[in-house]
Amino acid sequence: MNDPETLLAHASRLIGNGRTGAARPLLMAARTLVTDNPRVAELTALLNIREGQLMVARDMLDDDVAAWPMHTGLRKLRAELRFRTDDLPGALEDAADCVIQDSHDPTAKALLGMLLLEVGQAKDAVLCLGEAVRDAPRNPGFIKALATAQEALGDTSTAASTLQSGIQQAPGDGSLRSAAVLLAVRQRNFDEAVELATAARSAGIADACTFGLLGHALSSLGRHTEAADAYQEALKLGPDDPYVRHLVAASGVVASADRAPDDYIRTIFDGYAERFEDHLISLGYRIPGLVRSVLFQYRPGLKIGQSIGPVLDLGCGTGLVGVALSDLPLTDLIGVDLSARMLENAAQKRIYAQLHTEEAGSYLRREQRMFPLIVAADVLCYFGNINQILADMAARLSIGGIVIFTVEELLNDQMGKLWMLGRQGRFAHSPAYVRDCAIQTGLCIHEIRRETLRKEGGANVPGLLVILERSS
Amino acid sequence: MTTLDALEASVAIGEYDSHWLAAHGIMLLASGTPLAARVALTNAMLLGDTRPTTVLNLALAEGASGEQARAKELLRELTGRLPDWDEPWIRLAEIQRRNGDHAGAIIYYGHALECDPLRPEALIGLAVLRLGAGDGAAAQLLLLRCLGAHPDRIEAWDALGLALMQTGDAAAAESAFDAARQGAPDNFEYALHRATAACLAERAEFELARLEAESLRDPLNATMPTARAVVLQKLGRRAEALDALEVAVALSPDAAVPALLLGEMLAQSPRGPDAIIALKHALALKPNDRRAANNLGAVLMRQHQHAEAARILRGVRTQHGDDPVCLCNLANATVLLGHQEEAVSIARQSIALAPDAVLPYRAMANVAPYHPDTRASELLGTLRAISDRLPREAPVFCNERDPARRLRLGLLSGSFRIHPVGWLTIAGLENLDPAAFDIHCFAQNASQDPIARRFRALATEWHDTDNLDDPMLARLARSLQIDVLIDLGGYGDSGRMPACARRLAPVQIKWVGMQSHSTGLAEMDWFITDRWETPADKRIFYSERLLQLTDGYVCYSPPPHAPDVAPAPALVNQYITFGCFNNLAKITPQVIAAWGEILTGVPKSRLILKTHQFSDAETQAMMASRFAAHGIDGNRIEFRGASPHREFLRQYGDVDIVLDPFPYTGGLTTCEALWMGVPTITLAGEIFAARHSCSHLSNVGLTDWITHDREEYIQLAIYHAADIAALQELRSGLRARVKASPLCDAPRFGRHLGIALRHAWTEWCDGS
Repeated sequence: MNDPETLLAHASRLIGNGRTGAARPLLMAARTLVTDNPRVAELTALLNIREGQLMVARDMLDDDVAAWPMHTGLRKLRAELRFRTDDLPGALEDAADCVIQDSHDPTAKALLGMLLLEVGQAKDAVLCLGEAVRDAPRNPGFIKALATAQEALGDTSTAASTLQSGIQQAPGDGSLRSAAVLLAVRQRNFDEAVELATAARSAGIADACTFGLLGHALSSLGRHTEAADAYQEALKLGPDDPYVRHLVAASGVVASADRAPDDYIRTIFDGYAERFEDHLISLGYRIPGLVRSVLFQYRPGLKIGQSIGPVLDLGCGTGLVGVALSDLPLTDLIGVDLSARMLENAAQKRIYAQLHTEEAGSYLRREQRMFPLIVAADVLCYFGNINQILADMAARLSIGGIVIFTVEELLNDQMGKLWMLGRQGRFAHSPAYVRDCAIQTGLCIHEIRRETLRKEGGANVPGLLVILERSS
Repeated sequence: MTTLDALEASVAIGEYDSHWLAAHGIMLLASGTPLAARVALTNAMLLGDTRPTTVLNLALAEGASGEQARAKELLRELTGRLPDWDEPWIRLAEIQRRNGDHAGAIIYYGHALECDPLRPEALIGLAVLRLGAGDGAAAQLLLLRCLGAHPDRIEAWDALGLALMQTGDAAAAESAFDAARQGAPDNFEYALHRATAACLAERAEFELARLEAESLRDPLNATMPTARAVVLQKLGRRAEALDALEVAVALSPDAAVPALLLGEMLAQSPRGPDAIIALKHALALKPNDRRAANNLGAVLMRQHQHAEAARILRGVRTQHGDDPVCLCNLANATVLLGHQEEAVSIARQSIALAPDAVLPYRAMANVAPYHPDTRASELLGTLRAISDRLPREAPVFCNERDPARRLRLGLLSGSFRIHPVGWLTIAGLENLDPAAFDIHCFAQNASQDPIARRFRALATEWHDTDNLDDPMLARLARSLQIDVLIDLGGYGDSGRMPACARRLAPVQIKWVGMQSHSTGLAEMDWFITDRWETPADKRIFYSERLLQLTDGYVCYSPPPHAPDVAPAPALVNQYITFGCFNNLAKITPQVIAAWGEILTGVPKSRLILKTHQFSDAETQAMMASRFAAHGIDGNRIEFRGASPHREFLRQYGDVDIVLDPFPYTGGLTTCEALWMGVPTITLAGEIFAARHSCSHLSNVGLTDWITHDREEYIQLAIYHAADIAALQELRSGLRARVKASPLCDAPRFGRHLGIALRHAWTEWCDGS
């Protein structure tokens, strides 16, 4: 005789291992033995979620929660599902109900905290996650979420302390180590990042991400030989990880892809947002000013109040170019960036009519509008091959419109190369290649001007400022 | 007082009459206590009950008690008394059938049918015998006759299905099995037969859908997922088949059929620990299953549980007698416990039992390299014997004979993972020029660890070969126009050398992966080596042409998780700690004797022996007694069992000098010791495996740690042990030295490997 509890335990284990195909028949068998059982309902919904049948799971969970309103497992699951289906208010409501129903459940508190963070209520998120970590001090997921919330509040030193005490509580958890290293990298505190990553390596729990970040930090400190070693180790542990491959490619260990992966850009810029502007300003970042002066040069009517129409700012980051243009007579300023955290910062400036968290090429291909001005300042350095992105920009440029973009210049000592991935993870391009790509767009080339973009390690970073126009 | 005693006592006092005793005996027989039944029925007869039913049941009780002769005597007596009674003839036929006397059984069934032409047991029994003899058509006639009169005999429907399958009528067989299943929906055999018939009728997908629908109607019935598993396996969908079997076992945990199937299927997968659990469960349900026990032994070995494997395999031998497969497994388990002499002897017995089979020679090729007296010429002879026994084809290759073009390089292995093959090849392969080589991996039992992921990242195309037999694998490789194939599996557990005998590519090369010596395979064209592994005087012991690399024949990829090098322990201990972290199979009585002399020659010194096998206390005790025989006190030897890899490496921090075993020396183990700052003293021998450490030490410039005879080996160990300061100096710089050496210089290795592969290819293009 089959025992339903045993069958459910088997099914739960199989779902946990991702073997939903095996779990489904067992759940079906269990349902013939027990009816009206919330555990069966919970596992069935979980199974559907794991199989990607989110709408089926949502309908089931709505019925199940109505049938067993006090079952927190069902509510937590629905909160997770609602979050995944972009129903943040619903998710928050479920998570809050779970906390009310069982005030001792750290998972419920953590879930609520993570959702509060998602809706920008970092302060409340810190409170919830703090309680969750107090109740379950060894849960790496809770600890990382708390640190993220603290970082979002701008309290990076507390975030670092949270991760440090988490590492003491769970010294064998690699993800906490990586989170601590990443935090230090985002704070551009490379010495500390190296120290943390080295400690993780010595403890034998460094993963590909840790070695990748170690390489990044070492490279930023100019210790390129050691960085290359770290990248080699990263590649051994994560040969298929695009983030790692990009970093390793940057060190010259393996051939590079033709653009930086989206995850890499998000990882680096999310969380770096708070200090992004200070950092760039400290590096003598000149691009926004250059864009403004070029614009006056090619559209002198702006000085006397002639409107230029909507402006697309690709890779707008925290909105530095937007600020430089904000007093000009534009109808709309539209910003696009991969990093949600950067865009949050841009939004606070209240100068953008729309902000889109999206990859630039993807945005250009789905957008229907035409723009008289497209700016791509310091964004094509994350592309090796720029043919496609330039073509995408040209396709959205109205007649008479202009494109202004910058690239880092590949100097003569790399003769023969069209573009190359540098040790900082950015691509540099040869002037001849940029000219060829510009010609292929069919746009008129006004100018490809050499400019210093900023300083890096005390030296000028040479770049190219390019102005193209659609004449017909 | 027992029941039997009570019965005997009551008979003695005449308390019961003979009819009561006969009835009681029949009842005891029916309840599964034939010994007691035999006493009661004998006493009934002694009291004068000679009724046919009493005699028949006594015959049955005698038979069930192992008294076959007495049973037959009683049954014959009955046939004499009542020649028209079919029952004794049936019983006699069944006894003959059980004893393997099929001709006798057929005669008795014939007599039974003369008494009753439609007696179902006789018709079914005869049909089964016809079926066994391959006469499916005759079996069908008998079964149809039976079913005409007895349509409710479900075993007849099943047998009819089998007979129809035998005559090639799989579709009709499906209907017959359906009829059987209607009568016994929980019977696993019938469900499996139905699924097999559907596959034969090329209706596997339809059968899957049908079984799924049936499962929806009856979700608690475990026969459906079991049958699904069989169909899925035939379709090559092993992961789903395993899922289905796990469902079946969860639904019916006391059923032996799904448990056995699950155990067997897991045994063929990389899920070794799960296979052990499943096979143990299966054996608990069906303790006499020889195949399950044999599989369990093999899986335990793969999981480094050698002592238990050997115990189980010895049990199989005792219980079921010798068979070549079991002996092969036992030979491997025995050598892994350090009994080289016994292992070679068992392999010889296996060869004697099946001299034309490949497997016993493979077992011999696996165990002989560990034996101290194995000569290279003798080993080559064994390897050539394997080659002679392998089926082969004569394909014609149309690969473009252009020496300079980009080559399609095939890598064939069951070890694209954390394994010596992985650690010693991946870095070099990663550094092959991608413009010159397009890499295809042919993987058996692919896994997902970090090294496996490196292989996947390296491969242009990945081909899982688990469901491909040798001809299919050969066809696949040839259809992909592989130019050069490197075998990285040899005659190991998941090695595919038999496929290489059929030729996968015009150029075939042997490299790491059970590369203990030449392959002996006629179709293996080249053998990757170096000048230390195969010096000029050893080349005659190889059947392949030697592809000698500039430096060592492998490139070590040190693990990112390796701890830092620790200071020499002797600095604190003030005594020397020798160590050997090699597999116990390599530790021969001669090695123990030499180590005994070293320990005697270095006062206060200690020896740490660390390997999987020492997780077993019995194995530790066996080894301690071997040292004691050489006068070495037990407290100078420390045994350490298995540990995770990082911890394994860390424990080199407790060792000053590694003592290499011989003749089979350390390979990866020596590289790891060097990476952890510990030098190895080696004794270079004759066969390839006897020179691994010689190659690695030479490659990092430690030629002064290589010896060529036993005395030199002992004296060098004593000499180095005398200078702790020199040991520390060497140790502190060893990792940097190894890292800078050709052993770890992957770009350099990749270039040289590329040149060597191009050379082999050019030779083929030139018609060599």
